[in-house]
Amino acid sequence: MTGPDAPAALRATGLGFRYRRRGGWALRDCEFTVPVGRIAALVGRNGAGKSTLLHLAGGLLRAGSGELGVLGLAPGTAEARARVALLTQDKPLYPRFTVADTLLMGEKLNSSWDRTAAERIVHEGGIPLHARVGELSPGRRTRVALALALGKRPELLLLDEPLADLDPVARGEIMAELMAEAAERGTSIVLSSHVLPELEETCDWVLVLRDGHAELSEDAETLRESHAVLTGPADRADDLAAQHTVVQGRTAGRQLTALVRRRGPLRGDWHVARPRLEDILIGYLRTEEEPGRRDARERTEAAA
Amino acid sequence: MRGSLWLAWRQQRVAAGIGAATLVLAAAIAAYSRSGMLDALRSGLFDHCATGPLYCTRSDSGLPLLLDVEPLKYLGALNIALPVVIGVFWGAPLLGRDRELGTHRLVLAQGPSRGQWFASRFALAAATTAVLAGLLAGVFAWWWRPAADRSYGLFWYDDTALSGSGPRVVAAALFGLAAGTLLGLLTRRVLAAMGLTLLATGMTTLLLEWTHWSRLLVPPHTYVSAGDTPKAPMGEKWSTGDYGLITASGRHDSVFNCPYPSGTQLKECMTAHGYVARFYEANPAGDYWAFQWTDTAVLGGLAVLLTVVTVLLLRRRV
Repeated sequence: MTGPDAPAALRATGLGFRYRRRGGWALRDCEFTVPVGRIAALVGRNGAGKSTLLHLAGGLLRAGSGELGVLGLAPGTAEARARVALLTQDKPLYPRFTVADTLLMGEKLNSSWDRTAAERIVHEGGIPLHARVGELSPGRRTRVALALALGKRPELLLLDEPLADLDPVARGEIMAELMAEAAERGTSIVLSSHVLPELEETCDWVLVLRDGHAELSEDAETLRESHAVLTGPADRADDLAAQHTVVQGRTAGRQLTALVRRRGPLRGDWHVARPRLEDILIGYLRTEEEPGRRDARERTEAAA
Repeated sequence: MRGSLWLAWRQQRVAAGIGAATLVLAAAIAAYSRSGMLDALRSGLFDHCATGPLYCTRSDSGLPLLLDVEPLKYLGALNIALPVVIGVFWGAPLLGRDRELGTHRLVLAQGPSRGQWFASRFALAAATTAVLAGLLAGVFAWWWRPAADRSYGLFWYDDTALSGSGPRVVAAALFGLAAGTLLGLLTRRVLAAMGLTLLATGMTTLLLEWTHWSRLLVPPHTYVSAGDTPKAPMGEKWSTGDYGLITASGRHDSVFNCPYPSGTQLKECMTAHGYVARFYEANPAGDYWAFQWTDTAVLGGLAVLLTVVTVLLLRRRV
């Protein structure tokens, strides 16, 4: 399912984007594939390019270089617009519309519309249909915005920080809603979030962005299995680096704690712990850039 | 397309309603005031008044005879201000509101494309604006007709008649809309866009008024009368205020060299200075349409230009 010709929810090849012609690159040389039917977590630090990537996929921005495919289509085309839903981080809604008006707008603007599903999501949040959107709390507004995105019955749902202003109960409900949607209809979901523990339970694919590059795009379970947290003597650090990929290491006194990606069986006197997804993600987000890679990038920039 | 048109109507229906109410109010006042005008004319009081810019007076008291054209002039002033009002309150929020709230992302993330989003709302606004402006200009023309070009009424060259009637009102309203729309797209803030639109449309309106007064785009005609023969009557013509004398070599001199309306004094003075003719400059009444069509071309051209710029910037700015 993950071969180059398999259908992909999201596939980037050499994707680059910058907001101003002479400005810095928000995304550069991105290469990754997110297969269909996954709930993918889009993770990265502030400014890593998560929102830019989602806006590109939603057709709000156009790629500067390279290509990005959504469900094998070019973003922003009529067909892609009909099959992809995007909920941006600011969750814009017309404040003077009532909730009912807002849902009616979804019905009018989309070629296909599932009224019952949209109204159910709103009802579950206890939101009255006659309330004005501008008078709702941010969390309830998010729910209405999500109802708009889901009422469209998309094949690919792009969510930028959908959980940021929800209370813990609502978070759980919304995540359950999304999981049910994915399970029942096979909807592919890409959601960016900083709430790593929530992702652990929901997401089965991980896409890590760092400084505009796709650092990682992998099945979550594979990721858990291939990584290990090792604790051992600090003088063995070089041995370890020769055998495995050290994602992140921390030395305290004579003791080294390292998150490694295994490239074979673990040998030596290490205390091995199976990491949580959160640990792996934080490890990748925290790592300093390797000197060799940074040199290479600087060289290409000098040449360009 | 139908969905985005629905949304466009949902968002513009208040503005359209206010426009329609204004139109109904203007028409009601016009009907009332015009019937009063017609009654006054039917009374026979004005029958002895000749055409021309000089007031005729009441035979008994000697006071000037005038129709009540003040309300008509107010409608003319409203029509002149129409591009500013429409630009500020309809054009500036048209894209600016969505840009400010970020709601264009909401709309674009649903079904419509950028083109549909822009085209539906701009087309609806342009059509409503054009109809509204056309009807307001029509009300003015209908109301004005009994009083048109009479000393006791309103001459065609009065600002409120020249700029407040005819096709230029429609072109001006569309220009206001296009200017506001573009500024809303560029500033991304409704209030800033409103301020800039007020400035841009206000300046353009004043500039066009200035071209009327200076006769920049429609130059006046020079009326020459040989010797001291009486000059052609001014009648409905719009004088530039430029009167004078012409020498045998064709030089134009100020009227103050021989400041006499007629008679032997004038004859002697003209002979003494070597003047062979007198002249004055004015736009004939037919130039009403020359002014109208130049304004319509300028404002309509600007409206088209600004709309094209908006469409070109749409992809980069939204």
